[in-house]
Amino acid sequence: MKKHIILSVTLLLAAVILSCSGGQKQDGAVTLEWWQFWTDPAIKPTIEKMVADYETANPNVKVNLTDLTWANGHEKIVVAFSSGTAPDIVELGSDWVAEFSSAGQLADITENVIKDTAQFNGWSAGTWDSRIFARPWILGTRILFINRSLLRQTALGENAIPINWDQLKEVCYAIDSLGKGIYGFGSNAAEKHRLYKKYLPFLFSADGRIVSRDGKYAVFASDRAYRALKLYKELSDSCSMIDTQRRLEDAFLDGKVGVIISGDWLLKRIRNENIDIDFVTTLIPGPKYPWKSFAGGEFLAISENSTNKAEAARFIEYITSAENQLLFCKANYTATPSSKVAAKDEFFRSDPNLQTFIMQLNMSQMVTPMPQWVYVEDIIEKALEEVLFNDAPAAETLYEANQKIKELIFKE
Amino acid sequence: MKKSQLAGYLFASPWVITFLVFWLFPLLFSLYLGFTDYKLLKPTYNWVGLNNFVALFSDSEFLDSLKNTFIFVIGTIPFTTVIALVFALLLNKNFPGRTLFRSAYFMPSITSMVVIALIFTNLYSRGGYLYMLADMIGLSPPENGFLLSNKTALFSVMAMDIWMSVGYYMLLFLAGLKSIPEELYEAAEVAGAGAFRKFFSITLPLLKPVTLFIIVINTIKSFQVFVEIFVMTKGRYDSATAVYFIYETGLSRFEFGYASAAAYILFLIIAVFSFAQFGLLKQRGMR
Repeated sequence: MKKHIILSVTLLLAAVILSCSGGQKQDGAVTLEWWQFWTDPAIKPTIEKMVADYETANPNVKVNLTDLTWANGHEKIVVAFSSGTAPDIVELGSDWVAEFSSAGQLADITENVIKDTAQFNGWSAGTWDSRIFARPWILGTRILFINRSLLRQTALGENAIPINWDQLKEVCYAIDSLGKGIYGFGSNAAEKHRLYKKYLPFLFSADGRIVSRDGKYAVFASDRAYRALKLYKELSDSCSMIDTQRRLEDAFLDGKVGVIISGDWLLKRIRNENIDIDFVTTLIPGPKYPWKSFAGGEFLAISENSTNKAEAARFIEYITSAENQLLFCKANYTATPSSKVAAKDEFFRSDPNLQTFIMQLNMSQMVTPMPQWVYVEDIIEKALEEVLFNDAPAAETLYEANQKIKELIFKE
Repeated sequence: MKKSQLAGYLFASPWVITFLVFWLFPLLFSLYLGFTDYKLLKPTYNWVGLNNFVALFSDSEFLDSLKNTFIFVIGTIPFTTVIALVFALLLNKNFPGRTLFRSAYFMPSITSMVVIALIFTNLYSRGGYLYMLADMIGLSPPENGFLLSNKTALFSVMAMDIWMSVGYYMLLFLAGLKSIPEELYEAAEVAGAGAFRKFFSITLPLLKPVTLFIIVINTIKSFQVFVEIFVMTKGRYDSATAVYFIYETGLSRFEFGYASAAAYILFLIIAVFSFAQFGLLKQRGMR
């Protein structure tokens, strides 16, 4: 009896140890672990098919797909890296790459991707300390959505598409004055990671920055940042519905908000929820003419601890190839592939709304990669909220925020 | 060791092991982390002595969160306790529909806090029913809704918390009221005592153990307020509480050392308050 128990325990332990080992097998078979965020039923089957095709073409490779959510994906990735259980390949938001690469958690893939840099957009966010740690996959930017039927009801008429800040104000005021519970503009509040993405297009359009290009100096307290904030506050105070992004979009879909800033997911929502809405998309207006927007996106990176770096590099090259990006964009109605070749496809050229995104992406700016971005973002959002919702003086608030960012950079 | 003793230990072992691994060890380890500069993504960490604790007392964000926590505790407990007691006294009488009222008041306590917080977020927003009601009676609510203003965000969450908690404490008071012997009231009536006299001389003194229990658990709960803040304001608009600060520091910025130090400061504050309450109420005869 005793022997049986010892034998059973030994076998159990052996099974546990073997099941935990993963990675490279004796027969040369490779198992890649891939953590990714695309769980929407519209796109998940496409990703699964890409993986299945890869496995068919490479019979020695098996890819295990694990879904993450934006609600807690970042925490899971941090815990996985810190506990040494990170997957071979991980999808990262553009703001996170510097955080993980500066901590030594990501593999340097510069040599693998150097040949491709001219073919893809978005490398700046995947780069840290002049080395590349993540490959741009699907990018994203923000554009202006305008309810054309509301615009038509104003004295300005449906062709009054704003191309500068003054015209934007004019359009928002005109739509707001229609009354009947209709708002001119959708201003973000009450959630994290959103508001700053709506302010940054105005900041970037005014040629403002948060930190210098090299990330060494805080330059947020500037006349440019002040002018951009003044504009956003004027819109927010005078003619805005103030709510979360989701509810602003709901109101836009219901014809209750005239102008909102959003990403390409709203195109999908329009197609699924209110195909009849008469709307138009346009570039983010700058002080004088359409100018820059905020850009971000999804990147694929390889864990520094991966024992299958070469195979992982081949896999992410496959996933981010122009063909697969096109498949992805078609399935998900996504507007902004990182591949320049994919972006030239007829699929994008034949759809004016997708085309607006492609054009805007070429006129967009990513935030300077910073390991402390999570703090910087918080500082910016708190400063914006103070000015927008508590009438704090804009210049002083920007100055204080700038001081905090400066201290962060100094501490680092 | 006897066989019967061994069996006892074996039966107790699941709980003991769980306690040691999932309670005691994290508790002690987080105390240790409070004296280090441990950040989750940093491969190594160092002993920094009391640096984290010293830094916390000059960290305006932490001090603000402590201030907000005290406002929450002081601003909710007296109201919750008094309203719960009043409701319990009213519902302790016999009248038609009494069960319905009891169930209605208790309902918020068995509803998910997240659901309630989301509903109140809606009610407090510009155009929400509470916002419009306040506007209608001339209270001039903040332009962008109650939760988007430094002046009202925290107080709005507190009001919701009082509404939500009253039912549970009312039930505890009701149980306390039921345990008071009816003979005492009859004797008081014979002696000519009025309603106020009976309340202050019989009801309130005999409810003291329940009151003590309610105040202590409500204090602990209020010091740990988090979900409402997380759902309704995300700690913005001057509403971040101490636990929200710990969450942000630990699980958003992954500064485990700093967050652990903050957690232990909060632990000490709660412990001091709980013991003080016990002491104070015992001195006044609440045994």
